[in-house]
Amino acid sequence: MQTIPMQAGVGATTEVPPAISVRNLRMGYGERVLLENASFDVQRGEIVVILGGSGSGKSSLMKNIIGLYEPIAGDILIAGRSIVKARARERNELQRGLGVMYQSGALFGSLTVLENVRFPLDQFTDLALADKNLTARMLLQLVAMGYAESLMPAELSGGMLKRAGIARALALGCDILLLDEPSAGLDPITGANLDQTILSLRKNLGLTFVVVTHELQSIFTIADRAIMLDPVSRSIIAEGNPGDLRARSTDHRVRQFFNRVPDMATDTAES
Amino acid sequence: MTASATEQIAGDGVRIELRGRITAYTAAPLWRSALETLARHPGRPIIVDASQVEYADNVGIALLLDLMRRDRAATAKVEIRDLASNLAALVQAFDSKDFTAAPRGRLSPGIFEQVGRATVQHFRYVTQMADFVGECWVELRQALTRRGRINWGDVLDIATEAGANGVPVVLLIGFLMGVIIAFQSGLVARQFGAVIFVVNGVGFALLRELGPLMTAIVFAGRTGAAFAAQIGTQKVNEEVNAITTFGLSPIQFLVLPRLIAAVMVVPLLTVFADVVGLFGAALVMLTFDIGFVQFYNQLLQAVTAWDFGLGIVKAAVFGLTIAAVGCQRGLATGAGATSVGLSTTSAVVTSIVLIIVIDGIFSVFTV
Repeated sequence: MQTIPMQAGVGATTEVPPAISVRNLRMGYGERVLLENASFDVQRGEIVVILGGSGSGKSSLMKNIIGLYEPIAGDILIAGRSIVKARARERNELQRGLGVMYQSGALFGSLTVLENVRFPLDQFTDLALADKNLTARMLLQLVAMGYAESLMPAELSGGMLKRAGIARALALGCDILLLDEPSAGLDPITGANLDQTILSLRKNLGLTFVVVTHELQSIFTIADRAIMLDPVSRSIIAEGNPGDLRARSTDHRVRQFFNRVPDMATDTAES
Repeated sequence: MTASATEQIAGDGVRIELRGRITAYTAAPLWRSALETLARHPGRPIIVDASQVEYADNVGIALLLDLMRRDRAATAKVEIRDLASNLAALVQAFDSKDFTAAPRGRLSPGIFEQVGRATVQHFRYVTQMADFVGECWVELRQALTRRGRINWGDVLDIATEAGANGVPVVLLIGFLMGVIIAFQSGLVARQFGAVIFVVNGVGFALLRELGPLMTAIVFAGRTGAAFAAQIGTQKVNEEVNAITTFGLSPIQFLVLPRLIAAVMVVPLLTVFADVVGLFGAALVMLTFDIGFVQFYNQLLQAVTAWDFGLGIVKAAVFGLTIAAVGCQRGLATGAGATSVGLSTTSAVVTSIVLIIVIDGIFSVFTV
């Protein structure tokens, strides 16, 4: 693996445990191993993007971090506490501290958009209905979805589902947010607005973000650090600031990714 | 991780001091008490001292925004002081005017609109079903005249899943039906010394009515629902659109194999139900001193091949109906997981109603 030195994210300290620590992780499905011996930290207030080709295990890594899948070996610590070894109750408590947006938005089909965003507040707070509604509407405004609050998920486009999913992930004010391809399928303006929202939340609230994405523009805008997975070697092949990785990486797979070079062009250049 | 709010009268105004970390978990009592303070002092200016706020998440930001947006007299405005610049930036990112209108709930039409919509929906359903039957007929005719139009591998797979895997439950229900009818009828018939005629009743009822009917109801609940859910999910995932854009017919690919499989397996399942039902009845009749041979001889006198054949024909029609309704409901699925659930429910309910109606028609015309 190639590591390019980078600046720690905002709020990174050595005194408190990292927001997320992945230790010697081996993960996969049954016999199929997707990632071996992966270790990295995500510091508090840092925005880390997970990159890699299709099938490299980006979304699976995210689900391992969330505690939805159990790794084959290794450990994952959330703010210093193992989510892998935690019993069900402690794991639920750790999961509640993570705001997650899934690839498809994963909104509840029987609730309106507003009710979906309000759902975590309904479940875990004693706030009055009007207060929950205001918070939910504010979050929808934040992702430019205020106009769609009364719509049902079935009436939304893919991009709208994602944005509503982000608003829901933010509802409980979690310190750590994991977003699975948040800007895929969004128009450039909405995508850019979303990037600014992420940066603003990090700057003003010190939130930590782990973002799975392919969008190069978004990666260069938001990421403090990129972690690149490779489906062939089943390992982390690069880690560092995206700009530095593009400029200085000697690994052709990393250069190819960041410069958007098709396979054939690489083959020709290498021959 | 605590937060608090204290209220002080300061000259003409009221001072609310917020402290600590205002988060989703700590904001509720603060929010309530702050609003109560505002309500208690409608004519006084309110100063919210936020200098001791360590952190505010989205709910905390919403609380501050809510206090600022309150519609109060010009001399009694709410002013937030000494809020950390990062939090102030988040509050200022919102325009309180955007939240003045009440939140829009889901659109719920009035009773007359609902009745109207339901009526139109039912008429639409009848026309959709007629279209569907027509399309199926055209596709079936083409399939029978041209080779390779039906994927017999699919038919076999569906028949295995719907038929072979459904045998245990059909056997259980058939057996219990035979036992129950024989036992209940036997108790009554014994009072009149007519126990032997229970065999006539059981044979007639099982072969003509209950065998095909119970099998069909089990099939509707098990397989009709599965057809609607499978095709409905394929519709939601746009697989049906993919088939259509290849210039292929979803009826040919998804519906015909299921219709053919259902017409094949429901009569077979009915035969199983008939046989085990009669066996169960024969077991019960032993307790009424009717042996197996006597039961068999009486049964041959009581029922004819016509009764058995009629039950099998009915079963085939029931199977066709259940599969057609399941597939049609699946293809009519809207968007989202909820629609799949609605289609599945509708498929089972419609199938059972139609089965009973068709059974009634058979009963009237085949006396």
